[in-house]
Amino acid sequence: MIGILASVIDGILIGAVYGLAAMGLTLIWGVMNVINLAHGAIVVVGMFVLYMLVSALGLPAYGAVPVMIVLGFVIGIGLYWIGVHRMIGRPELMSLLSTFALNMVLIGLGTAWWTTSPYNVQVNMPSVSWRGYTFTGTHITAAALAVVIAGLLYLLLYHTRIGKAVRAVATNREAAELCGIPTTQVLAMAFGLGVALAGVSGTLIATMFPFTVLSGEAYQLKSFVVTVLGGLGNPAGALMGGIALGLIEGLATPFMPVSWIPIVEFGLFVFCLIAFPRGIFSFTKA
Amino acid sequence: MSEILLQVEGLEAGYGDVQVLWGISLKVARGTMTTLLGANGAGKTTSLRAITGAMCPRGGKVVFAGEDVTWLPAHAKAARGLVLVPEGRQLFNNMSVEENLEMGAYSRRARQHFRQQLDHVYTMFPRLKERRNQKSGTFSGGEQQMLAIARGLMAMPEILIIDELSLGLAPVVVQQLAETLKGLKASGVTVLLVEQNLHLALALSDYAYVIAEGRPFLEGPSAEVAAKPEIRQAYLGL
Ligand SMILES: Nc1ncnc2c1ncn2[C@@H]1O[C@H](COP(=O)(O)OP(=O)(O)OP(=O)(O)O)[C@@H](O)[C@H]1O
Ligand SMILES: [Mg+2]
Repeated sequence: MIGILASVIDGILIGAVYGLAAMGLTLIWGVMNVINLAHGAIVVVGMFVLYMLVSALGLPAYGAVPVMIVLGFVIGIGLYWIGVHRMIGRPELMSLLSTFALNMVLIGLGTAWWTTSPYNVQVNMPSVSWRGYTFTGTHITAAALAVVIAGLLYLLLYHTRIGKAVRAVATNREAAELCGIPTTQVLAMAFGLGVALAGVSGTLIATMFPFTVLSGEAYQLKSFVVTVLGGLGNPAGALMGGIALGLIEGLATPFMPVSWIPIVEFGLFVFCLIAFPRGIFSFTKA
Repeated sequence: MSEILLQVEGLEAGYGDVQVLWGISLKVARGTMTTLLGANGAGKTTSLRAITGAMCPRGGKVVFAGEDVTWLPAHAKAARGLVLVPEGRQLFNNMSVEENLEMGAYSRRARQHFRQQLDHVYTMFPRLKERRNQKSGTFSGGEQQMLAIARGLMAMPEILIIDELSLGLAPVVVQQLAETLKGLKASGVTVLLVEQNLHLALALSDYAYVIAEGRPFLEGPSAEVAAKPEIRQAYLGL
């Protein structure tokens, strides 16, 4: 019994990080109705930033977290102007194709640089023991940081002028523009924020698990499951959706081979799409 | 005649393949209230949107306070004080009253006067002050229109352009808003008004333009326009 409990708690810890990744996806959708198919590649960028900073430059692992937030924001704004800006207000297929193209370019560059072999960053955090069970220190730290970053996002969106402008643009772009809000800049910034969230979640994942250049796809798919659980366009729901997904993974792990987990997840995905098309946690909207 | 604050010349605009405006021209003198009239579908909303940059004009010229602003984006025009209260109010429904007003004062110029202007609009609309922390989505039509006007005022407008002041509102509320507009005009705000209620529009305004099918049809001091028989013709859409 306690074995399952430990597995569930670990699942919840990891799930908070899934939630953070999904927040990036859902924020971009909520503000500009673009599904960012480069999301997975950005998660991988976050992983390799950790690798570069720790293994190549010898920085402390969690020092990579603020670096990645800033870097992700800058990369996001760059990607917005390269591949997203001209697709705003056009049929959704256009932005799907262009962000998919960005995804392929990023993965191609990554493969050329680092090949597709696995990387592992050794992060030393003391683990926590509780009633004879051990919880990995990196998982606890990653979850705590994910919750802190989610809280910072909340403060930004609800208690700063620029954050309120992001919400105004999400609600009604034309009205926001008429209020004097430079909405194009706000869109670029929101895309930057979404990318920063995806990237930093990659950094946190890389403190817990080994990864390759191709790891992004799995996390992209998990983010889709999470957003479907949490309601697309709803950052608060994304965090809860992530925790729910982690919990389900934690529950399932003791009972089935790891290769079955995706089948459970995507079964759930299809079930939620049919049963709760607006998401289970979609009682608030950004 | 006082200074011309807003001058529109030969404005053309449309949607996709459909051209809607075929050369709209008008002038608004500082400190006056001007009305733009026309039947449903005549192109009033389109004119206002093209003037304020909510949509891109296809031709013509918009001169505001002596500056050619035709091709500026809407937010830059709003920052200069060319402010539209759009048709259908277009509030940020999942934000509170005060957040809506804060967004209204987004430009750097308006931001500097935020506190003082907030007090001003709360005095003008005490109901909004009572409900400052409520989300605007739950409001009655009249309250929403008050908030839309208040949000426009937060931008420190040189000219306040209002599209459909009274649409869907009870007569009492319309009367109240009319008083508000008179007060605004008395305090020196220039107004360009589009209004379904012909009598109200002509009674409030100093000068009127009537357009039909996207073209100028008639213009003159409001009292004279009110007396002309052609105005009914324009309103029946010819
Ligand atoms: N988004 C749009 N796409 C295509 N055509 C439009 C659009 N908006 C308006 N039109 C067309 O443009 C013409 C002018 O519309 P507009 O809304 O400017 O009229 P209006 O004078 O404001 O009418 P109303 O009194 O009903 O508000 C109409 O024929 C209308 O069908
Ligand atoms: Mg109209």
